[in-house]
Amino acid sequence: MEWSLFVNNLPYLLVGAFPEGPLGGAALTLVLAVTSALASALLGVAGGIALAMAGRITRVPLLLVIGFFRAIPVLMLIFWTFFLLPVVFHVNVPGLAAVVCALSLIGGAYLAHSVHAGILAVGAGQWQAGLSLGLTRMQTLRHVLLPQAIRIMTPSFVNQWVSLVKDTSLAYIVGVGELSFVATQVNNRLMVYPVQIFLFVGFVYLVMCTALDRIATYWLTRTARSTPARVRAAAQPVAGE
Amino acid sequence: MQVWLAPKYLMWLWQGFGVTLGLALCAAIAATLAGFGLAMCRHARLRALRHVARGYVVAFRNTPLLVQLLFWYFGVATLLPDALMQWLNAPHRVQLAWFSLHWPSFEFVAGWLGLTCYTAAFIAQEFEAGLRGVREGQHHAAAALGLTPRQAFRYVVLPQAVRISLPPLFGQYMNLVKNSSLTMAIGLAELSYAARQVETETFQTFAAFGVATVLYIAAVALIEAVSHVVAHRRDPALARR
Repeated sequence: MEWSLFVNNLPYLLVGAFPEGPLGGAALTLVLAVTSALASALLGVAGGIALAMAGRITRVPLLLVIGFFRAIPVLMLIFWTFFLLPVVFHVNVPGLAAVVCALSLIGGAYLAHSVHAGILAVGAGQWQAGLSLGLTRMQTLRHVLLPQAIRIMTPSFVNQWVSLVKDTSLAYIVGVGELSFVATQVNNRLMVYPVQIFLFVGFVYLVMCTALDRIATYWLTRTARSTPARVRAAAQPVAGE
Repeated sequence: MQVWLAPKYLMWLWQGFGVTLGLALCAAIAATLAGFGLAMCRHARLRALRHVARGYVVAFRNTPLLVQLLFWYFGVATLLPDALMQWLNAPHRVQLAWFSLHWPSFEFVAGWLGLTCYTAAFIAQEFEAGLRGVREGQHHAAAALGLTPRQAFRYVVLPQAVRISLPPLFGQYMNLVKNSSLTMAIGLAELSYAARQVETETFQTFAAFGVATVLYIAAVALIEAVSHVVAHRRDPALARR
């Protein structure tokens, strides 16, 4: 294989036409992933709290909405946001916004269940303890339950974010110039090295996902590590549930 | 403006749904077998085999399915000898006793291969978790009864491991149905592809994507129902309820 051809296309794969044109390639994939990861975390925490606090009647519509987002393919939701939002609101929705919107909604729906499960896992005793200290329900949730629940939820958050990085590749379908899209562009231009190009792109994703896995796990368990051993030992039976 | 889709377009969507189900079913069977084999390899005596299985799972779980599909479709086509590619691209039919079976298009084969390899990595993890979920005491008990390691695995450990890993396994089948929508990127005429085509031709965005979404939800609900029935059949504690 001609290395010069590959090396010439490398900047395009990594940052797109960046200094002259819009950002693209692996850098755009990162931007997409970080934006939708934050949005999905917010939506997920809000949804999980709503599930935990809701009464019987409000829970049903909430579960239906979450169930809907979990049951349809990401691709279908991207179509919905990309083709239907402009029709309904008469505004031009850029592909980037449509993809971020779809990815955050799906990620949020999955995370809502994890957050809810995390809050349940901390246990009813902690609720009662917080309430008997004179805290309101919101304060109990914020200061007593969530800090403990975060530790339990860490693996599901990291998993969801890793699958989110992979799902950013679907932006290819609506023509957003992220890594998969520029890869097919380069492939169509060179024509002769599809194996090398897609192996390289797969490798870039692999590095991104494993790095994210390590960093996010480290960051989210950082508080657990910095608390004194005595406190951790006291929290252990709860966290182990 | 016509509100509902013409029968011709509904037929397109219905055929697309058939392709989606067929693809998912073929991939589910192959991926379950491959995933089981991978889980076995991870317990093999040969260390090299264990490392290979581990590397496979990490590599296929941490790269996007879309890139894998593009790799199989564009990449492998250049690696295979020309004669084989011509055979794969040409239509074939197998005459069986009462009906003739079409050999599927290369798009279908590439999509099936991509989905199988991707899902196998996830299914291997579920089986692995199931095997780890069987208590150590069960192994000892089987050995104490005089069963050989092979018999102990077949009659004591495996049935319990399968029971533990069944619910997540059905979750993977649901993901498989949803992931099959990505094969539209390599031009396989499944449900998402059909929806996109109907949308382009009729401009009835809402109806086209609405029908496709409902069909996806129906497929996922069907798998959920099957999983429910299977769980209750296998588990006497649940069946009594």
